[in-house]
Amino acid sequence: MFPWNYGFEWNSAHIIFLGAFYTVLVVVATTLVSAVVRARRDVRAHHEDEIRWHSDFHDLPAPDRVCRHVLTGEFRRRECPNAFDCRLCETHAKLIARHHPAPAAEQEEEILGMAFPLDRLYHRGHTWVRTEPDHTVTIGLDELGARLTGTPDSIELPLPGASLHVNGPAFRIRKRGADVRVLAPVDGEVIETGSPERGWLLRVKPAAEGEPAFRHLLRGAEIRPWLLREMERLQLALTAEGAAPALADGGVPVADMAENCPQADWDAVCGEMFLNA
Amino acid sequence: MDKEFIARGVKRCATGKFLLWILPWAALLVFGLYSAGLCLVKGLNQTNMDNRFAFGLWIFLDLTVIALGAGAFFTGFLVYILKIEELKAVINSAVVIGLVCYSGAIAVLAVDVGQPLRFWFTFWYPNVHSMLTEVTFCITCYLTVLAIEYLPIVLKNRRLRDVPRLLVFEHELHKLIYVLAGVGTFLSFFHQGSLGGLYGVLRGRPFAFREGLFIWPSTFFLFILSAAAVGPSFLICTTFLVEKISRKRLVRREVFRLLARISGLLLAVYTLAKSIDTLVWINRTSPESGFQAIQYYSWKPFGTWILLAEIVAFGLVPALILLTPRFRAHTGWMVSAAAMACFGVALNRFVMTVQTLALPTLSFDPFLSYFPSWQEVGTFLAVVAYGVLVYSFSFRYFRLFPEERELRVELAQPQEELELVER
Repeated sequence: MFPWNYGFEWNSAHIIFLGAFYTVLVVVATTLVSAVVRARRDVRAHHEDEIRWHSDFHDLPAPDRVCRHVLTGEFRRRECPNAFDCRLCETHAKLIARHHPAPAAEQEEEILGMAFPLDRLYHRGHTWVRTEPDHTVTIGLDELGARLTGTPDSIELPLPGASLHVNGPAFRIRKRGADVRVLAPVDGEVIETGSPERGWLLRVKPAAEGEPAFRHLLRGAEIRPWLLREMERLQLALTAEGAAPALADGGVPVADMAENCPQADWDAVCGEMFLNA
Repeated sequence: MDKEFIARGVKRCATGKFLLWILPWAALLVFGLYSAGLCLVKGLNQTNMDNRFAFGLWIFLDLTVIALGAGAFFTGFLVYILKIEELKAVINSAVVIGLVCYSGAIAVLAVDVGQPLRFWFTFWYPNVHSMLTEVTFCITCYLTVLAIEYLPIVLKNRRLRDVPRLLVFEHELHKLIYVLAGVGTFLSFFHQGSLGGLYGVLRGRPFAFREGLFIWPSTFFLFILSAAAVGPSFLICTTFLVEKISRKRLVRREVFRLLARISGLLLAVYTLAKSIDTLVWINRTSPESGFQAIQYYSWKPFGTWILLAEIVAFGLVPALILLTPRFRAHTGWMVSAAAMACFGVALNRFVMTVQTLALPTLSFDPFLSYFPSWQEVGTFLAVVAYGVLVYSFSFRYFRLFPEERELRVELAQPQEELELVER
C-alpha cells in the first residue's frame, strides 16, 4: 500500500489504483470534516433554531409548504422557496408593490365561529402579533391554535431577556401527549411574559420596526383563505388519526378540541398544525 | 413505551408486538453467530468447501446481496446526480438496504477469508494485479460511504433531533450528501465490475472466461449492468413487502412505476448484452479454449435450461413486463416481475460461482458437487436475520419513507360526521 511495503513498485498499475483509492479516501474524509467544521461554525453562530426550522420545513408535506400567494389565488401552484420567511422573497416584494393586500372590510374576521381580529398580523404557525402603543409587540395563540390546545397541560414560556427569531421556537405547549414548539412570529427580545387570561403570552421588543420587519406575516384579506386552508388541513389530520370529522354541516370547532376528541393522536395533529416535523 | 422515539405522525405497532416480530430473527442471528464463530475459531474445516471448491454459498451470497444492494448507489446517483426528485421517496430505504447488504457481505467475507486478526493485511499488502484487491478496497470504502449516508437518517430520529449539535451536523452532512452519492457511484461501478471481472479473467475455467475491452472482460460490464438493473427491482420488492407487513402505504404508486420503468429498461439492455455475450462465448471464446459450449451443459443438473432460465425466464420476461405500461400499472405483475429480475441475478451469480467450479476442465477432473454444511447455512441465515433486524429497527425509529405521513393523511377519507362540531 505504501512505497516502503514489500512488493511495491512505481508502475502505472500501482499509481492508478492507489491514486484512485487515496483520492476516494481524501474526498470522503474531506466531506466528513467539512460537515463537522460547518456544524461547529453554525453552533457558534447560534444558528440551531434556524436550521431546525429549515429541517422541519423541508420535512413538511408538500401541500403544507405552499406560498401565501397560492392561498389567495394569485398563483395556481408554488412552493415557498424561503421557508415562510417572505422578508427574503423577491416575488413577494414585487407582488405587494404591485397590489398591496387589501384591508379587510370588517374589524374582525369570523371564520367558522372563530374570531380573527384584524388589528394584528398572523403567523402560519398559529400565533398573532399586535403592535402596542409603546412600540413593543404582544404575541399570542390565534383562535384556531387556542382551540386546538384548549387548556394546555403546561406552557413553557421563555424568560424575559430571551431572544426570539422568526420561525425559531417561541414557547412550548403540552397537551394530551402533544409536545409542540410554537414558532416565533418575529425577531426580538422577550420583555415580559403573559398568560392566556391576559390575552397574550409574550411581550417582545422587536429587533426591527416598520413594514419590512413584519412582511412575512399574514394580514387583512389573506386571513380568510389561509384559515379555510388550515381547516382543511386540520380536517385531514384528524381524519388520518381516526377522528373522521366532516365539517359539512356548518358547525364550528369546539373550544377544546383535544378534550373532545381524545382518541386522536394529538401529538401528530398539533405537530401538523403548528408546523413541527 | 418507545413512542417518543417514533417519528411524529406515523403509526407503528405496539412495542410488545414489535418485540415478538424481532425475537425469531434475533434467535436466528444468535444461531448464525455461533456458526460463524465455529468457522472462525476452528477454521474452514467446518464448511464443505475445499481447495478445489473454494467458492460456495458464502461467495454466492456475497455476489447476490452486493448486486441487490446496488439500489443504494443507483438510486443515490439518480436522486443526487441526475436530480430525479421523485425517488427521494425511497432513497432512505435504499441506503439502509445498501448498508445491510454490504455490511452483511463484508461480514461473511471476513468469515470466509478467516484469520480476522489479519484483516488489515489486505490493505497493507495489496496485490494490485488482483480483481479481489479492487473489490476489497471498493466495498470497504463504499461501506464507509454508506455508513456516512446512513448517519443523517439516524440523526433525524425524533429524540436525536432534540440535541442541537446533532441536528446541525445532520443538516450540514445532508447538504454534502451529493458528494458521497458521487463517490458511491464511482466505487460501486468499479467493485460491481470487478466482481464480474473476477470470473471473466479465469483462463483456467473456460466456462467463465470471457474476452472484453482493454483489461476488462465482458463480465465486468455485465455485472455492473445487471446490478444497476435489479437494484431498483429489489427496492420495489422490499418496499412492497414492508407495505404488506406494516399494512401501510409508504410510497406513491408513481414512484413504484418509475422504479419499474428504470429497472425494466436496464434489464432489457442487460438481457441484450448478456445474449450477445453468450453468443460470442458459444461461437468463439469457448471453442478457442478447446470446449464446445454444449459440453458444459451435459453435466446434470446444469442443463441448457439454466441458461434459458437466466436469460429468458428471469431476464427477458421481467424486462418486457416492467417495460409494458399496462403490466407496470398492475401491482401484482410489477412486483412479480421485479422479484423475477432479482431471482435472475441471483441465478446468474449462482451459475458464475458454483457451476464454474463444479465443471471439470481437465480430462482427469471429476464433476464436483458441493452442498453447504450447517455452519455455512447458519452464517448465511445470520446475514438474512441481521438484515431484517437492522431494517426493522430503522423502519420503526427512522423516517425511511418521507412521504408516509403525507400519504396517511391523503388516504384518509372523511366519511363520518364531524364530532368536534358544536351545533
